[in-house]
Amino acid sequence: MTELVLQALWSGILTGSSYALIALGLALVFGTMNVINLAHGELVLLAAYVAYTCESAWGASPLLAIPAAIVIVCIATALTYGLVGRIRRDRELNSLLLTYGIGIMLTNGILLIWKADIRSTKSAWLQDAIVFGPLYSMRSELLFFAVSAALIAGLWWWLTRTWAGRAVRAVASNRDAAQLMGIDPHRVEFVSFLVAGLLAAFAGAAIFSVGVIQPGLGISLTIKAFIITVLAGMGSVPGLLVGALLLGLTESLTTTFFSSALQELAGMVLFLVVLFVLPNGLFGTRWRRAH
Amino acid sequence: MCMRKALGMSLLAAIGCLLPAMGGAMAEEFVVGVEVPLSGSLARVGTGMSEGINVAADVFNRKNGKHKIKLITVDDESSPAKAVAAVEKLASQGVVAIDGGYGSGNIGPASDAANKAGLVYITSGGVDEALTQRGLKTFFRINNTAGYSKAMLGLLSDMGAKNVSIVYLTKEATSDLAKDVEKALVAKGVKVTMHAFDPSITDFKPIINKIKLQDKPDVIAMSGYENDYVGILRAAKVLKPEVKAVVGVWSLATSKMQEDFPDLMTDVYGTALLPFPAEFTTPDGKDFAESYKKLYGKEPDYLGQFGYVQSQLLFDAIVRAFDAGTLKTGGIATELRKSNRDTLIGRVQFDEKGDNPNFSHRMGQHQGKQVVVVWPKEYANGKMIFPGVPW
Amino acid sequence: MAARIAASFAFAVAAYALVPFAFSGNLYLMSMIVAALTIGGIALAWALLGNLGGLVSFGHAAFFGVGSYASALLVMKAGWPIGISLLAGGACAALAAVLMLPALRLRGPYFALAVLAYAHIFRIVATEWKGLTNGAGGIGNIPRFPVVLGYDFSSKTGAYWIVLSLVLAFALIYAGIRRSHLGLALRAMHDSEDATRAVGVNSTLAKASMLFLSAFMTGMMGAFNAHYINFLEPDYAFSGLWTMLPIVAAIFGGYRTITGPLIGAVVVYLLDQLVFKAMMPIGHQIVLGALLGAMILFAPQGLQSIFARRLPRLRMTSASGDA
Repeated sequence: MTELVLQALWSGILTGSSYALIALGLALVFGTMNVINLAHGELVLLAAYVAYTCESAWGASPLLAIPAAIVIVCIATALTYGLVGRIRRDRELNSLLLTYGIGIMLTNGILLIWKADIRSTKSAWLQDAIVFGPLYSMRSELLFFAVSAALIAGLWWWLTRTWAGRAVRAVASNRDAAQLMGIDPHRVEFVSFLVAGLLAAFAGAAIFSVGVIQPGLGISLTIKAFIITVLAGMGSVPGLLVGALLLGLTESLTTTFFSSALQELAGMVLFLVVLFVLPNGLFGTRWRRAH
Repeated sequence: MCMRKALGMSLLAAIGCLLPAMGGAMAEEFVVGVEVPLSGSLARVGTGMSEGINVAADVFNRKNGKHKIKLITVDDESSPAKAVAAVEKLASQGVVAIDGGYGSGNIGPASDAANKAGLVYITSGGVDEALTQRGLKTFFRINNTAGYSKAMLGLLSDMGAKNVSIVYLTKEATSDLAKDVEKALVAKGVKVTMHAFDPSITDFKPIINKIKLQDKPDVIAMSGYENDYVGILRAAKVLKPEVKAVVGVWSLATSKMQEDFPDLMTDVYGTALLPFPAEFTTPDGKDFAESYKKLYGKEPDYLGQFGYVQSQLLFDAIVRAFDAGTLKTGGIATELRKSNRDTLIGRVQFDEKGDNPNFSHRMGQHQGKQVVVVWPKEYANGKMIFPGVPW
Repeated sequence: MAARIAASFAFAVAAYALVPFAFSGNLYLMSMIVAALTIGGIALAWALLGNLGGLVSFGHAAFFGVGSYASALLVMKAGWPIGISLLAGGACAALAAVLMLPALRLRGPYFALAVLAYAHIFRIVATEWKGLTNGAGGIGNIPRFPVVLGYDFSSKTGAYWIVLSLVLAFALIYAGIRRSHLGLALRAMHDSEDATRAVGVNSTLAKASMLFLSAFMTGMMGAFNAHYINFLEPDYAFSGLWTMLPIVAAIFGGYRTITGPLIGAVVVYLLDQLVFKAMMPIGHQIVLGALLGAMILFAPQGLQSIFARRLPRLRMTSASGDA
């Protein structure tokens, strides 16, 4: 029994870390621009398919595909930023609709280019089992757990210790004041979109190496990322990690102790509970209520 | 001189006018409607079936010197409403029958619409019980859930499994199959544990861990789709439960899975009509393989095989109905019901409800780079490697 | 005024009589039109929630699915007559909206995505609660519309008339509310919630009532669809398409007007099925995404605003002015 619980916890942590990777990009853009990029999941998926193409065309490990994925996804995010930036009125809601449309385009584009088959990594090295006592995992899961931790730490360091990162936080907390202090909000927003693209590229390589991808996956990734952003609360990067781990743990514990048929339900219910009970999320520093 | 020529000409003309009345000497083109999902969640399987149907038309047009089959294909986007609309569209274009359909949820409404339009509907994509219980005289299908469970049960019994864990997706086709197999196994005194999972699950380790630590079965049985198999096998490869075999159903014992995920497929069993590389021994099979290679440049898979067989039967029935002069008066349905022939999937006959009672699938096993049919004995071309798992 | 009545009358005649007369032979086209009007009804309800309630929702499929199942089950298991069951389907969807009341406190995007979460939850419940809904297998052979006064409403034309009537009724209700005191209060609230609360308008109640109404309308559309297609399953009833297509339709047609969503639905749906699908059999919805994006960027007020700019005389009711 304890073995079961331990493995459930371990699985939950590993899954949570890849969720965190997916959520980081969305949270960053949301924090700085107050824009929920509903196409974020599709961008992650795009990166995953780039990894697939690199692996199938050149036999390269998905890890090596990351630079290519970064380039392609960052181009896509830059384009998205360009379009979102052109919205004049009612940015919050119109950007939601615009990115929704972009998401639809990306999903169908992916379907057209890569067809409907499922894809995943063939690399035996990545799929090897790594065992610590009663805790089992795939090498790819451990690898991306480390990558995720590194990126989160890196992101936190960037936001708190560098000029650029601090500018991002300044714009996020008060756009006008930041502008008065000489920070160009447009530059900052553009940068945060690019960083989000970078993070999405890593996340895409992760989901390709750990799991199975298909064109329809995009929207569920976006939803997961949004759930975690809500759980974490605004403006908190460590919160994202905790939120992601919480989601991962909820899912694996539900599977282990109840029924695996209820896994998705558990995630949704957790989302709603946090939304209503803790409107600021677990670590949030900003308001989410209507008044 | 001119008179004789003129007489000869008029005689020829007279005979020429009589010929149609005698019927049969004119070459006909039969238009058949194909309603399949080419986009949406069932895109992959729909495309596979559509390929088989196209191959059947190609083979027919080459072999049958007289008549021609023309296909009009409409994408039903994996949705019941669009499936109905597709059938209506095809009906308005004057097709003589509807071929295709995937997913019991889409086939139900679509075949209802076909029935209303007086068209025969033949498919291999709907195994749900309810489909043949509607009392439709125009509905035909060449496979059913029972055939799949028969195959899985046969293999499990050959293995002598006394304790089986069934991991199944909560969608209808997969859970029906799982429940069927459970019932039959329990009746034979085999211990069965069931694990349902919903489509969003990507990490199967918690489930496999439960199986490894609590169930401790002889065999793990899987009922799901390709992405589920990959997930389950990956988790099993990591956790290494002590089982003797892993058995799945459709889309598993295929060359595609072998190509895409070679490390996961070792010694894994799934349903397989034919071994791979396919050795087509009958002339029918050879025609099929040749044409498939020519049109699509690849080896046929089970979806194409099913699509081929259902179309083959349909086209034969159309020609027979035409010859009997009953094409427009429900003759196709009558002729289809009289079908009784050997095909790539075995002997096919249709009962009153449109089901193929002879349908029994076969089980294949990945052995090296090949897929070897191991059950039933009549179709087996090799022995099963048992016990054997990918880890 | 007289001109308007005449125009409305002509329109009614065209819609009820001419369309079936011209197209009833072409079942496929009629199917497309019925489907487009179903989307139109949802689009109208969505726009109503947005305009009068100030709430954008990304989960209207939730109401659609609840309405479908409610109506089908009431007819099949409790023997209710189909007409009443349509209303009951709407009512059940409105009840489902009650569960969403806590979400009203949330700001824009959060509310939109909370509703999406509800849609997923309802879908999973429908899949798991096998005793009630037959789970993933869905419900087949749902009874069709009956024969009333000698006319078989299960025919294509009959279904067309039913959905057309529903949609026109919704439009009239929408127009009525807009003109009423409630509508005035709601629009004022849209502009400044604090100000209106100061004057004594209970904003939460107002928003909630719009949510219920929008849910009710969408639920009725779902119920209609269940008896029209005669088949339901969780993935179909709660499919994301029932959310996506109405949104594209409403934005395209102009979601600030009443007729906008309807025209948008008919145009977008028919274009998608008859033109885009023919050009690109796979992935044709990419054009819909592009359309949505383009409309948000260049004409957020929808198609009608484009025409209004070119042809001022054709300007229909717009956000600010109202006749």
